[in-house]
Amino acid sequence: MPISALDNMVSVGLFDENKLKEIEVIASEFNYSYIKTALNFGFLTRKKYVAFLEQEGFELIAVRDEEMDMQYIEQCELIELNSILYAPLRKMPDGTLLVAAADPQDEKLKTLLTIRFNMPVRFVAASDLDITWLVHIKRGEYYVKEAVFSLMRKDPEQSGLITFTDPQLIFIFGSIAILVILLFISFLKVAMVLNVVFSVAFFGTILFKLYLSLNGSKAEMKELVNKAEVKALQENTLPIYTILLPVYKEDKLIRKLIWNLRSLDYPRGKLDVKLLIEEDDDKTLNAVRNLDFPANFETIVVPFHMPKTKPKACNYGLHFCRGEYLAIYDAEDVPDSDQLKKCVVLFRKLPPEFVVLQGALNYFNKNENMLTRMFTLEYTYWFDYMLPGLMSLDIPIPLGGTSNHFKFDKLMELGGWDPFNVTEDADLGVRVFEKGFKVGIVNSTTLEEANNEPFNWIRQRSRWIKGYMQTTLVHMRNPARLIRRIGWRGFLGFNFFIAGTSITFLLYPILLLFLLTYAIVKLTFVASLFPDWVLYIATFNLVAGNTMMIYVNMLSVFKRRYYELILFGALNPLYWIMHSIAAYKGLWQLIYKPFYWEKTNHGLTKLSSSGTSANPLEPVQ
Amino acid sequence: MPKQLTKILTIVLIAYYIVISWLLKRHGFEHSSGLFYSEKLLLLFNAKQNTILTLGFTFPTTVFFSSLFFVPLGYLYAPVAASLVMTAFLFYMLVDEFKKESKFSWKLYVPILFCLFAFHPMFVFAAVTGRRNAVIALVAFLIFRSFFRYYKQPVTYHISMASLYIGAFIFSNFDFIWVVLAFFPFIFLISLDGLLIARTESPIFQYYEALNNRSQRRKLANRTAALYLVIFLLPLMAVLLFRSLNSQYAGSPTYFLDSQYANWRITGNQRIGSLVMSAGRDNVLYQTQVVIQGFILFLTPLYIAAVVLFRGKLYELFTILAMLLYYSFLLLSYKYTLTLSYYLLFIPIALVSICYYGTSKYSLKTSSWIFGISALLTIVMGFYFFKHSASDEEMEFSKEMSSVYNNWEGPRIYSESQQVAEYISNLVTDDNKILIDDAAAYPIVVHIGNLNGMILPHQKTFLTIVENPAKFVKYILIAKQTNPTQNLTVLNEFNLIKFRLKGLKALLMYESPNWAIYQLEKE
Repeated sequence: MPISALDNMVSVGLFDENKLKEIEVIASEFNYSYIKTALNFGFLTRKKYVAFLEQEGFELIAVRDEEMDMQYIEQCELIELNSILYAPLRKMPDGTLLVAAADPQDEKLKTLLTIRFNMPVRFVAASDLDITWLVHIKRGEYYVKEAVFSLMRKDPEQSGLITFTDPQLIFIFGSIAILVILLFISFLKVAMVLNVVFSVAFFGTILFKLYLSLNGSKAEMKELVNKAEVKALQENTLPIYTILLPVYKEDKLIRKLIWNLRSLDYPRGKLDVKLLIEEDDDKTLNAVRNLDFPANFETIVVPFHMPKTKPKACNYGLHFCRGEYLAIYDAEDVPDSDQLKKCVVLFRKLPPEFVVLQGALNYFNKNENMLTRMFTLEYTYWFDYMLPGLMSLDIPIPLGGTSNHFKFDKLMELGGWDPFNVTEDADLGVRVFEKGFKVGIVNSTTLEEANNEPFNWIRQRSRWIKGYMQTTLVHMRNPARLIRRIGWRGFLGFNFFIAGTSITFLLYPILLLFLLTYAIVKLTFVASLFPDWVLYIATFNLVAGNTMMIYVNMLSVFKRRYYELILFGALNPLYWIMHSIAAYKGLWQLIYKPFYWEKTNHGLTKLSSSGTSANPLEPVQ
Repeated sequence: MPKQLTKILTIVLIAYYIVISWLLKRHGFEHSSGLFYSEKLLLLFNAKQNTILTLGFTFPTTVFFSSLFFVPLGYLYAPVAASLVMTAFLFYMLVDEFKKESKFSWKLYVPILFCLFAFHPMFVFAAVTGRRNAVIALVAFLIFRSFFRYYKQPVTYHISMASLYIGAFIFSNFDFIWVVLAFFPFIFLISLDGLLIARTESPIFQYYEALNNRSQRRKLANRTAALYLVIFLLPLMAVLLFRSLNSQYAGSPTYFLDSQYANWRITGNQRIGSLVMSAGRDNVLYQTQVVIQGFILFLTPLYIAAVVLFRGKLYELFTILAMLLYYSFLLLSYKYTLTLSYYLLFIPIALVSICYYGTSKYSLKTSSWIFGISALLTIVMGFYFFKHSASDEEMEFSKEMSSVYNNWEGPRIYSESQQVAEYISNLVTDDNKILIDDAAAYPIVVHIGNLNGMILPHQKTFLTIVENPAKFVKYILIAKQTNPTQNLTVLNEFNLIKFRLKGLKALLMYESPNWAIYQLEKE
């Protein structure tokens, strides 16, 4: 006897019985209704389903505008509402309970609700997306508050809610005061010391990066996971893998997203893909609604709560995850098709303390313009050399935003992401180390869209640099404790790499100006201020530092065989000026708008990611 | 191979070099280049003025900086300590590389390497004189090892390490900057090989395809440029930076090459005759590069063995031969023959080549014989080189080495510099100063051991005092006409005559074959 819309579709020949059997298996594993499984695992298009409902006499109601009596929905758990896709609306004058359901022919649900509410139930059909939106808005308050405040409650020391602690403010203002006094006492000597300290810090940071790059380039020598190991994986032993896709107004990317997800080599029934969209993001929601082909992801609507940040959305999504492992991608990402399987193999191979894996990121539109070329150079050395270098030296690895793969239970143990930190990924990477866990690097690449517009780039970069500053402030609240937790090596590495990155960009224009006035314009005033040895050190550090950065850029394209980009490495000093602009913007925002999320616009590229391969990662020869 | 054998032999080698150094010292043998670095170390740690010039521009930088680590042993011993430790370290690394990469029995390569390092006079000379030869040999080994490792496992790490070593190579001897040209052929061939076109066809056809197909040609150009930049960007930028710093702070971009205060070669070359130019001496070299390159092969049979035993790709062969090509560039530029430091590096290059490619062509037994015999011949040729050397100090070393074992119990001999230094030490006080130009007199300054009572060129008042010495100092050290470096110092007999013509009254107090000390009378 048919008990759901899908059964009815099968009986009238609109749906394949074999698919229904497949849906039954997935639905029981995920504890989802059949219709949710069918619509979210790529079995059925929404348009086809709506047409069937209309044919059956069920017109979809605009459930978001319906009058609602909260007492009924409050008796239901959000997890269940979201899994089965229904929303009790109100008691009708005839004594029945009006319930909006994605599957108005679901007899099992009707029976269940009749028993629960002790009254007859009348189903009206509503879009599954609207029901999802409604139930999350009405019942998501607890979860969204958890997403925002959970880390702060469990571990306030690790939360970025307070940007500057009192001791930090005392330290900063105290240092400034002492500096001003010293400048008054002996301007020349203090300026000299500052000059040397700045330039040595600049050079030291870059030297450390070169060292990391060389160490990281050794990682090429061993393939962490090879193709044979991936091939040997038995599909029935694969765990459920959750993929979180936080998006905001990314309606143009939804089609692309589906194709990218389809190219992943992982059993459909084991992929738990969550598209996390904000409450006010109707654009994306409608884009999902209007798809002409089956969607292979589940939509989760994140209720409004400040701060409106990606980590908050991800934390919210965690409550609905089913996977043993969890990955984060951006909407435009094109991961290597075997990336998830590689991560499964690597997680099984590595010692249990490795709880996160970071995939390499690169760009599919690298040759679009100068900026995308520079960005490609930067990302290539960062992910192919720096991060493996950090891993080899056992130094905290700042995670890279997307292509992070977690052991789900450990991620929960860590408290998820800090919603107040605008580089929550980098912060989490450090927190992983602080808790005694480790981050690994997986030899797999995800292609992204490189920012091709300078102002958009500066917005994005200012957020990143601000986030690095936030991360530094959070973890340096108690330096002694940090040393105890991650050791001296980790502590120095953290300061050189995370704190050092922001400082380098802030110092760069000062040192450049100094060099220009002294060495190129030859202002005698500058020469008279400082003794020869100071000028020698400053000139050496700046020129050598720039050269090393150019070199590191060049090394990276060598590995990826992007030979045509190698000369663009020479433009790194100019690219760094853009970094400096972004750094000062980030610093300003750190003080005035610390939690403000500078949104990066995606989908600006005119190039397509199709046909682009993330490889080669094989060695050059 | 016994686990600790390499370490034990390295320590034995160090001890052996120390003994030889001590014996040579007892016989009064000192190499001027070691003394030069010693004096710079003394200035660095004791002088208060112009420290940046000493620290920043003393060249070769690698040699000077490596000596810094051994300063606690004393300024005089630091350069020698550095060179002997580095020579022994090269031995250690070679044994280690053979152990990892070669199929030869350790019973063969360990004795061969030990004998080479213990008895080949070039290695002994490099180890005990504090010259740059040890650094050059070590760095040459590291460069070629990186390339061969890259060929075996083509990862960027090896290439970038090669780049860093090439930087060190150039900063050990500026002439090596021309390897930029000499390495081009094999870098081009590596790129060509990487294009992987028409692999089943003949190499000629592959080259034809690569060069005549537009897309392939573009790829080839990009790849070659990329490889070239990754290998040479760092060294060349380092050179540019160094030159600009020289220009900025010393007034000339080539200060580190041209100034006798920064570079031992300026004074050293006065002591080293060229083999070609010193026609009076018995040698085999005349004019043409082919003969000179032949001389390299003649001196290093191991290098011939490396080529004979080689089997591999064309670019690998070109890598081994690259230094011969480099010498062609060098000789075009210098037009005369070269000293020991240029020849010595062929031995480690040959050894690392044999290590990687020495057993793939012939049977292990045949290869072992070729390796062993060529090593023996190389030692013999080392003796030949020293016997016929054009350098006074190399000749002296050779002479001392042949007599040192017989006369080690004899009385200690003090070098001329030591005797002059001893005299000055007893003469000067803070009130009775002496004017010395360490451009030529650095061996004396370092033997004095401190800067008390001395006026030296690093002091800002030096030029003023030279104009009117009697007003400021009581003594002056003059390089006599017989001194080979007298042209490089303002304080020579020629200038003394000029001073006297201006009314300076100078009374000779002490003289040695090359030096004279005068007491000045105030007007």
